[in-house]
Amino acid sequence: MQSIRTHQQAFISQLDTHAFSPSAVEKILAYGAPVGAMIEHHARLDRCMDRLQQLIQEKEKQGQVLAAGTVVLADTLINSSGRFDRVWHAPKGGVWLAMAWPDILLPEFTRLLPFAIGMACCRAIRKYGIDARLKWVNDVLIAEKKLAGILCTTVQSLGGDRYHLIGIGINGNNQIFPRELEGRATSLRSELSRTIDLPKLIGSLLAELRWSIGLLHYDEEQALEEGESCEQGREGLLLAGWQELCDTVGQQVEYGFDIQQKPLYQAVAREIDPCGGLSMELEDGSRITEYSGEIIYIKQKRRDMPNNLSPKNGINR
Amino acid sequence: MSSSNQEIHFDEILGQYKSDPYNYLDMHAVHTGKVRFLVEEGTAVEGASGEWMHKPGTRLYEINRERNTKVITSKTNGTISSVRSELDGHFVEAGEKLLTIRHPLKKKEIIEGILQEVLFLFEAPERARYYFAMDIQSRIDQKGARSVFIQPGDEIITMSLMKRDTPVYYTGEPGIIHSVYFTPGESIDQGKPLIGVCAEEKLPVVQKVITRVKAEWE
Repeated sequence: MQSIRTHQQAFISQLDTHAFSPSAVEKILAYGAPVGAMIEHHARLDRCMDRLQQLIQEKEKQGQVLAAGTVVLADTLINSSGRFDRVWHAPKGGVWLAMAWPDILLPEFTRLLPFAIGMACCRAIRKYGIDARLKWVNDVLIAEKKLAGILCTTVQSLGGDRYHLIGIGINGNNQIFPRELEGRATSLRSELSRTIDLPKLIGSLLAELRWSIGLLHYDEEQALEEGESCEQGREGLLLAGWQELCDTVGQQVEYGFDIQQKPLYQAVAREIDPCGGLSMELEDGSRITEYSGEIIYIKQKRRDMPNNLSPKNGINR
Repeated sequence: MSSSNQEIHFDEILGQYKSDPYNYLDMHAVHTGKVRFLVEEGTAVEGASGEWMHKPGTRLYEINRERNTKVITSKTNGTISSVRSELDGHFVEAGEKLLTIRHPLKKKEIIEGILQEVLFLFEAPERARYYFAMDIQSRIDQKGARSVFIQPGDEIITMSLMKRDTPVYYTGEPGIIHSVYFTPGESIDQGKPLIGVCAEEKLPVVQKVITRVKAEWE
């Protein structure tokens, strides 16, 4: 645990903050400071998010609240699931963690939290010299193979406190994937042909989470000062950073609320609007903007699903 | 409210709908800027269409701010009943009323309009996609929505926005889910009703209204 904290501290000083003034950097890091305030490590867990919910309840029974930025880590997850109850494959060798963050952002910025987490993961991975890219909203891909996945849910305790639970999975040293994921997933070890230091990766990830979540809060502060919202066309700081890492615009995509079970239509991704929506152009030239749901890249689909057959049970990591 | 009072109340509402079976939709400036109207009084307009409602409706006005022009289109069909033409070519503040669309109501819309007077409408907290919580969906699947009783604090719906799922807790009066205004997974605008909840004792009155409108409306 100490090793993770030491790495986290070291990576803070190496963060890419060039686009911001020293006073802005100070504020951003202050907003994100609670990240990793408490870290709990387990060899095995059913789900990191379940453990966080348990901690929230335990604290509430004691008349306390769970510290913002509490992180639960596990070497392996045995009963994990992703969105739409998809199986989450989390063997030893990967980074599997969940973090609790209090629900204190305005809705306009809460909806960008998944972007902030994706940006943090992508930046942490790119430190290894790999050209990792974000697919809207927050899948981290390397050459269209999934390397990291994120799950965000918001929960309310019995006492009424609301937390965002952020689940992150990064394929680190794990190289063996279930059959249905072969060719669609990759790991850092596979990409680098060497074993990576997991505590160092986790420390780097926590440093980047501190930056990107802090930036989201700073962005909110700036928007309030400017008196403008994304609906009015304000271009946010967080989204600008996220867009630098995203390769979705220009891709031929297939969209669906649950893309594996019910793909809805195909289109060309044209732009990310100031609120984070994905604007797509349909075959007849008309545009549609989506604020939820998921996409796959068409060339990715062709490669992954021969004969246009979808896997029955996809894995979202 | 007694049953007889409700009867009188509905008679009044029914009378209003019969004398003026239209909905008047005011359109306001979406933000500050210089406005230019693209319709005039009496122009027939159409709402969005297409399988995904992706084909925009009739172009109503454009608003220009800092050389960025945004075209606002109609969300519904009808006729332009008034335009504040004195504002054409002028700078307006966000929220300024610009024009009104007169939308002819169908029988189904009239029933819904009347129902919405008596049902508790639980609205979408944000523009997002919604689906019922697993427990509620399973009860709906088994017995139908009108057999599902909910009360404040129940987790009834999951809101999905930007790949973040949030449980939505019911905050209205206890009752049964009488009307469902969304299809699971459908994108719903903020403030639009998701469900209409009816107190059990009001159910007979609600049924009576539906029957009357169906029988009396041409």
